[in-house]
Amino acid sequence: MMDSLSKCISASSRFFGSIFLVLMLLFLSSCGQRSGGNGKSSAAMDSTLVIAMLGDADYLNPVLGSTVTSGNIIGLIYPSLLQSEFDTSTGLLNYLALEKKLRETAQGQAKKAPQGAIAKTWTMSADHKTLTYILRNDAFWHDGKPVVSGDFKFTYKLYGDPVIASARQQYLAELVGADKGQVDFDKAIETPNDTTLIFHFFKPVPEHLALFHTSLTPLPAHQWKNVKPEEVRHSELNQQPLGAGPYHLKTWQQQQQIELASSPKSTLPKPGTIPLITFKVVPDYTVRLTQLQTGAVDVVENIKPEDFKGLQQANPQIEVKTVGLRAYDYVGWSNIDQREYHKSGRVTPHPLFGSARVRLALTHAIDRESIIDGYLKQYGVLCNTDISPSLKWAYHNRLAPHAFDQAQAKALLAAEGWLPGADGILQKQGKKFSFTLYTNAGNERRTDASVVIQQYLRAIGIDCKLDVQESNVFFENLRERKLDAWMAGWAIGLEIDPLDVWGSDLKKSRFNFTGYQNPRIDQLCELAKQKMEVTGAKPYWLEYQEILHRDQPVTFLYWMQETQGFSKRIEGEELNISGTFYNIDDWRLRPSAHIAP
Amino acid sequence: MLRYIVKRLLIAIPLIFGVLTLTFFIIRLAPGDPAAFFIQPGISPNVAEQIREQYGLNDSLPVQYFKWLGNVLQGDFGRSFSRAQQPVFEVIASALPITMTIAFLTLIANFTFGILIGIISAVRQNTFLDRFLTITALFFYSMPEFWFALMMIILFALKLPLFPTSGLNEIGAEGFGMAGFVLDRLWHLVLPVTVLSINGAAGIARYVRGSMLEVIRQDYIRTARAKGLSENVVIFRHALRNALLPVITIMGSSLPFIFSGALFIEVIFAFPGMGRVTVEAIFSRDYPLIIANTFISGSLIVLGNLFADVLYAVADPRIKL
Repeated sequence: MMDSLSKCISASSRFFGSIFLVLMLLFLSSCGQRSGGNGKSSAAMDSTLVIAMLGDADYLNPVLGSTVTSGNIIGLIYPSLLQSEFDTSTGLLNYLALEKKLRETAQGQAKKAPQGAIAKTWTMSADHKTLTYILRNDAFWHDGKPVVSGDFKFTYKLYGDPVIASARQQYLAELVGADKGQVDFDKAIETPNDTTLIFHFFKPVPEHLALFHTSLTPLPAHQWKNVKPEEVRHSELNQQPLGAGPYHLKTWQQQQQIELASSPKSTLPKPGTIPLITFKVVPDYTVRLTQLQTGAVDVVENIKPEDFKGLQQANPQIEVKTVGLRAYDYVGWSNIDQREYHKSGRVTPHPLFGSARVRLALTHAIDRESIIDGYLKQYGVLCNTDISPSLKWAYHNRLAPHAFDQAQAKALLAAEGWLPGADGILQKQGKKFSFTLYTNAGNERRTDASVVIQQYLRAIGIDCKLDVQESNVFFENLRERKLDAWMAGWAIGLEIDPLDVWGSDLKKSRFNFTGYQNPRIDQLCELAKQKMEVTGAKPYWLEYQEILHRDQPVTFLYWMQETQGFSKRIEGEELNISGTFYNIDDWRLRPSAHIAP
Repeated sequence: MLRYIVKRLLIAIPLIFGVLTLTFFIIRLAPGDPAAFFIQPGISPNVAEQIREQYGLNDSLPVQYFKWLGNVLQGDFGRSFSRAQQPVFEVIASALPITMTIAFLTLIANFTFGILIGIISAVRQNTFLDRFLTITALFFYSMPEFWFALMMIILFALKLPLFPTSGLNEIGAEGFGMAGFVLDRLWHLVLPVTVLSINGAAGIARYVRGSMLEVIRQDYIRTARAKGLSENVVIFRHALRNALLPVITIMGSSLPFIFSGALFIEVIFAFPGMGRVTVEAIFSRDYPLIIANTFISGSLIVLGNLFADVLYAVADPRIKL
């Protein structure tokens, strides 16, 4: 028996052995092809920049694309009417045409060359209702046809078509006819010849806003003119974008990678310096980090602060760059009694958070600095209101943050009638100060912060339960104003327009989840919009911040810097708040021979 | 047997149809909105409304259901909401081959290793080898796959850069030539298939060991040995065939796995397979894609069970269908 057993085992070891042999063969055969474990053969490595992305692009069509990845890639493929640049010394967006800029920038600040712009210059009429662009005549689509004013008009019609449902139709809100519900394109956009493009607005529009709203990316009309509006979303042309920018689409393997190649003939502004750029889908964060370490990818966005040290120790050829501040987290308190509001439509104060004094006490009770120290470290900044410190021209820098002061918090609550009961929990007229703080699943930073917040509130006698909801459910509950308290965040636009979030008309202000109402805030936002020069609105924004700081409709926690990991073989990259890849056509790759092993 | 198969297939039709109908209503009752992505500051409130109109979500639920039913009966499962309005079967068709490659390789490895380890530890019951294999198998069986996968990546891609971390091919693999491309693809599959099959083989080994131990104590095995048959013939011809019956059940129930994909592995190794398609469809409330996925996995579970039942009859002549 032992004999046959050993036969049986030796048979199996033969089997294992042959499998091992196959694996070894596979290993050897692949070794011949690559330079090692770095994931790219060296010739390919020197000519290809690899960027890791979380998810695939949805559409490579500027009318339809709505994800960040799509936006990044569309920016490289398609031409744009103007170039824009965020001036960090003032916090203002600047617009550039070939021969004109909106405002002069401080010395050393201007980094973007205007050569990528199709507009040579523009003029705004004295009544601020007509904007005329003169286009250059030496810009060409990748198929050799010229980029003409008709392309812009054609594409604006697509942007405005309700059947296509472009996410950017808001940009057309000031064009003639929009006040009556439907843009009248024949009157709103004129193209007297191929190099003149005229926009007409139904009301005076500040120049910076007019430039922003009229510089939507065009499609080549000659390629798209025979596609019916209802076909646009599933047209095959979406798979073969025809652009005019520094890069063109080489291959798109859905859910895997998008490969762009430099366009040798592009004059907008010039062919991309790096021959190939690959955007690679890597859904898992740890794997993205590993790939950055092994050199399989060159850029990974949104690296968590706690991973910086390990990353740089593991591979000194990696640097972490930061840009910001555009995003903040906050704890939302429902200002209104939502149950009453849903039942009768009446707005009454929330039984717990209805008073500004209570909300102020809650802010005092939470040590926001300790959350920053624990998670974001130097990449977080205390947040007072939703106007970012990066928007220097409007930011109120003399507003003292509400200090962490639990005694003060208790005193404020006592003054409101909230006194400790037998069990240590605050009570008022028999009602306990007890609520559930919700947040969305999958955000480690917020879940951690909400645990810390729970402890601080517990220390002053507030019973705060925690609940994590699936993101879709969470946002639906927020939109329907069903939650008493929650933790969430906003990413702000570079133009200040907060009426959607704080406006008193609760039906119109879809993102006013707290139900906060203050007529002065509405007024200030309106006044600011009417200023034809953006900086003229500064006094309004200062007052706006003072009011929010006083009323504490939410507890603002912290601003976060975006932190991006870069391989040091990339040279010439400039990070800008308007986007990580804003000058990617100027990036260069150092040849691998120059990199220390 | 043919009669039996046809009967089972006919019963399957109303069953799958019922599952689809249930899914249709359940996903529409779940909170969340396929157009929710377009509800953001800076996007006109009209957009979400226009999108819902395009998707036909503004009709009442019964109207939506009958429209859907009409389309499905004509074989049209619609277009995906979240993937640029591709027809849903196109989305599935692009993910399926990837998932099937991984799953077939995994299943082959699973059963080969599982059965072998199971036999060895049963035949050498209570020896050091048996204990070693049992403990190792339990160790891997109880290990969470996602963690194991990450450890493998850290070990074999980061510390010892032998294998690629993720993806199906290298950047620029198209230039390797046909053979190079296939080898490169296989090379990318080593880590994920290892992770999946070590975990699965460990489980199968436990089953095989258990049923093998039971079988080799039976009288007919003693008879076979008494007849003077060689141990190889006794184990592989007489014992194994009976010991494999429970394994066949597992094989049948693994069939849906071939098509449904292994989510963790697909996310960690960045493979665009069925697991990701399904989960992303659920998160983005992509109704047509969810239903098409349910249709495929529902049909496969039914077929898998049928397949297992038929295999029973093949393996054990006492079972009559």
